[in-house]
Amino acid sequence: MSVDTGVHVSLEEAKLLVEYLETGQQEKADELIAEIQNPINSELFAEIGKLTRQLHDSLNNFQLDSRLSDLATADIPDAKERLNYVITRTEEAANKTMDAVESIFPVVDTIQKQIKAVNPLWQKLMHNKLDLPEFKSLCIDIDILLKTTDKESVRMHDLMTDVLMAQDFQDLTGQVIRKVIDLVREVEDSLIGMLTAFGISPESSSEPSKPKFGENLVEGPIVNAAQRDDVVADQDDVDDLLSSLGF
Amino acid sequence: MKVLVVDDFSTMRRIVKNLLRDLGFTNISEADDGSTALPMLKEGSFDFVVTDWNMPGMQGIDLLKAIRADANLSHIPVLLITAEAKKEQIVMAAQAGVNGYIVKPFTAATLSAKLDKIFERLG
Repeated sequence: MSVDTGVHVSLEEAKLLVEYLETGQQEKADELIAEIQNPINSELFAEIGKLTRQLHDSLNNFQLDSRLSDLATADIPDAKERLNYVITRTEEAANKTMDAVESIFPVVDTIQKQIKAVNPLWQKLMHNKLDLPEFKSLCIDIDILLKTTDKESVRMHDLMTDVLMAQDFQDLTGQVIRKVIDLVREVEDSLIGMLTAFGISPESSSEPSKPKFGENLVEGPIVNAAQRDDVVADQDDVDDLLSSLGF
Repeated sequence: MKVLVVDDFSTMRRIVKNLLRDLGFTNISEADDGSTALPMLKEGSFDFVVTDWNMPGMQGIDLLKAIRADANLSHIPVLLITAEAKKEQIVMAAQAGVNGYIVKPFTAATLSAKLDKIFERLG
């Protein structure tokens, strides 16, 4: 009975097997049989070895770059919190400022109203056309105006100090944003490092990449209008464009 | 005149409200995006809409299109006040039937001038 198993036993191997069996080296004999049945392809073996080493090195490199995992798990969540802080502080400042300004508006309006009330009789006085009852009435109005202005100017001064103090966010948010910019720069460097490690050149893309637009091309405030020709620079540009459309 | 101010930032709504009040508009309501604004417009008899473009939910440009598509609302003048400054977008807004386009940052004088122009045209 002949079955082609693809296994070829050489005479040397057969002799060696007999020798192992005769000298009672059962283990060696078994090994030899296994070897004869599954001859190791030395080339394949070498290739697997190379791949294993590469995998090992890559994994090691990733471990070395543990900064990357810190960035993802600690620094970036921290940056989100910082940016939220900027939103909160700037909103607070805007509201504090508007609180003060909205309190100043009616004060100014009141003073202006009283000045308007005084003005006709005052003009008469200046032109020497004022009679005595009018003079008395004028005196009362001026007295009210002086008292109001005195009291309200102190109040306006306080409110304007509030406006002044509401601007203290700029220093704090400026520091926070600067820190986030540093982080973004570090993440950028790490990502470029990773691309390079995988053999992708970050410079290889032929076109300079553009930031993504949202639905309806939304992009938010344009920070580099001077370098772009697809955006308007100011309201005059908008008006010119609209009138060129027959608006 | 009943005015609806639509912006996702409450501070910007407050600024616009103050400026409008200074210009004599006292009946002002607020909404924080298009999808909140639209039902308000359908219910109340608004005469004028001032809206931002970039808002979560429904954007200002889509609100404008929805207003123009609704026979009961299509007559309402709409003024966009937005940071969106691409020429293509301004053309898009004009084609959608916007009545005025103010780019942020803007001044009180600009707002006043655009309002004059809008209401002068409407007669």
